[in-house]
Amino acid sequence: MIDIALIIRKEFRQIKADPVMIRLMVAPALVQLFVIGYALTTEVRHVPFAVVDRSATPQSVSLAESFKTGDLFDFAGYVQSESDLRDLLDRGTVRMGMVIPPDFAAALESDMKASVQLVVDGVDANSSQVASGFAQGIISRWSFAHLKERLRSRGIDFESMVPVRVDVAVLYNPLLRSSWFMIPGLVVLLVTIVTALLTGMSLVREKERGTLEQLMVTPIRPIALLIGKMIPFAIIGLVQVSVFMVLATLWFDIPFRGSLLTLFTFTVIFMLSSLSIGILTSTIARTTQQTMFLTFFVVLFFLLLSGLFIPVENMPTWVQTITFVNPVRFFITAVREMFLKGLGFADLWREAAIMGAIGVTMMGMALALFRRTSA
Amino acid sequence: MTGGSLVRIRAMVRKETWHILRDWQTLAIVLAMPVAMMFLYGYALTLDITDARIVIEDPLPSTQTRHLAGSLDATTLFKVAAVVRSAGDPAQTLKHFEAKALVKFPPGFGRDMRDGGSAARVQVLIDGADQNVGNILMHAIQPAIRNGALELLNITPPEPVEVHSRVLYNPQQKTSLFFVPGLMALLLTLLSALLTALAITREKEFGTMEQLLVSPVRPVEVLVGKIAPYVVISAAMAVLVLGTGWLFFDVRVQGSLLFLAGACLLYLTTTLALGLLFSTVAKTQQQALLLALPATMMPTVVLSGFIFPVSSFPVWLQAISHIIPAYYFIQVLRGIMLKGVGPLELWPQLTCLTAMGVFFLAVATKRFRTRL
Repeated sequence: MIDIALIIRKEFRQIKADPVMIRLMVAPALVQLFVIGYALTTEVRHVPFAVVDRSATPQSVSLAESFKTGDLFDFAGYVQSESDLRDLLDRGTVRMGMVIPPDFAAALESDMKASVQLVVDGVDANSSQVASGFAQGIISRWSFAHLKERLRSRGIDFESMVPVRVDVAVLYNPLLRSSWFMIPGLVVLLVTIVTALLTGMSLVREKERGTLEQLMVTPIRPIALLIGKMIPFAIIGLVQVSVFMVLATLWFDIPFRGSLLTLFTFTVIFMLSSLSIGILTSTIARTTQQTMFLTFFVVLFFLLLSGLFIPVENMPTWVQTITFVNPVRFFITAVREMFLKGLGFADLWREAAIMGAIGVTMMGMALALFRRTSA
Repeated sequence: MTGGSLVRIRAMVRKETWHILRDWQTLAIVLAMPVAMMFLYGYALTLDITDARIVIEDPLPSTQTRHLAGSLDATTLFKVAAVVRSAGDPAQTLKHFEAKALVKFPPGFGRDMRDGGSAARVQVLIDGADQNVGNILMHAIQPAIRNGALELLNITPPEPVEVHSRVLYNPQQKTSLFFVPGLMALLLTLLSALLTALAITREKEFGTMEQLLVSPVRPVEVLVGKIAPYVVISAAMAVLVLGTGWLFFDVRVQGSLLFLAGACLLYLTTTLALGLLFSTVAKTQQQALLLALPATMMPTVVLSGFIFPVSSFPVWLQAISHIIPAYYFIQVLRGIMLKGVGPLELWPQLTCLTAMGVFFLAVATKRFRTRL
């Protein structure tokens, strides 16, 4: 116990003595929160949009104008022909276009099937699918309103024809803001990078300077050494979570409906894994520079497969299987459920259990490997 | 350039190649990252939501409620995960069934619908946490229930305007097509800006830069010799990424290969100048890394349009995107590789890249001279 306390004291002194390390801890945290907090959006907004109106009737103009409301599309205007539209798409001036055929109005008024064509720049598969979903929604709302209007002119009230009223309420994120979903996930990014990177760097630096061997020949056991090294970084991780919470709730205005105790408990369980990543990289890397590259690489891998950027359900089955051994995935799920829905241990015990099991396994591997390579 | 100059540059190139080979792990990591990312994200991402799980609260089951539940289940979008008598707290119920929406029929629903008169009401609670899913479900659930009700009354639902979608450039919506240009940009940025900055500051840190400069090798030759191996590696890697994309993911270059090579060379010049600039500021490798990593990797991944749509950013952040070289380079790459367009369409982006390159190079050479 005394050994561990001694190492912890030494670590804290070293952190204080090295301003570069402090910059490493503070700067990325702030940059990440502010820049990524704003950039990390899955919302698709302001898609530049043009229309080829070959019908040129009040109906077609009304449909085209319905794209002007809201901020989903930026209406760039009408173009003469489909080849003009293609040219705009080629240049990237617009990302979607609608072609209204000459017989549009006639088909609409004669119970025939009216149709329009959407031409989509499919380069960004993600955004283009979301944007074309929005466009179809706008078109179907317009055509429904138009249909009701036509029925009314014939003396039929559509609403009374259907004896069902549907009241839709959106829970937890009523304004459907992307930031409410994405920013809570950032805490995971923060904890993973900082704890893994700092642990790895601090171990490798001892290796580089040859002080690790000196520590190894002291009576301090390797386990005590590692625990003493990890605890300061775990504390720094928890401090970062606190800073993050202040920024997320006060600056970004994200509601936190869960309990802080649950959040910190989950963080501690998760840090078993992230600290292990740090130890594991330190057994492979020889220089601090290599540690940095390796940690970024490994962490990026974990983050890409965590559902932070792209929902796990949208990945192919074999990739989904891999995510089951990814602690980041379960931490992100838990944090999101905690933040917006206020769920506690009673509902999140499965995530906690899986994360704990992965953490203990990784820690065991890390300790074994560290002892073999360093002792 | 005289023959002597060539000999001296060749010696520098040989020396730098040795440095690279000695620290092959760093190079391996930098190279493995984009390739691994490509294999992970190279598949087609399905953002079409199908079988979104819903829970139905039905305190008094009737023909009507059962029919509506069945017709919801029959849609491709929804899938009934469970029918319960009483749902309790929505958050816990949704988590328990891993569901996205809760449809609540009141006890008198069946009677209200049968009798007519007052419209039968049904309440739908949607989990809006993930706004994309929430948005789609919100707009789809009302027509779905209404169509179910019409079916029950033997009325054919009215036909809305039909929408034919034509997806250009990437008709199968493969993520790999979108990813390969971004990865090329990331790779070239890391190799040229980051690694050259590190290579030059290493000489400064060890004091060997001064030794090199007092040797007969001229400063320009030192720089050319140090940078050349990275240009060769970058070119090789660009070919590797293109080859992997072509072999494994069927990503073909639609436009001219020659133009593509030219664009890559222009971008390399810009980022190499940037790396040179970093090396004039940083004194140690660690400083160079701390300076170059946030200045190259983060913007290239986050702000360049590689993953996140720039048009959705707040205006101030879009302004930052516009001063990132990768933002223009990715547009150029996508234009050439996917759209098959040429300089005629891409001149604005190419002009911006050239201007940036000239600016970085001017500042870097000025600083490099004054410091020596």
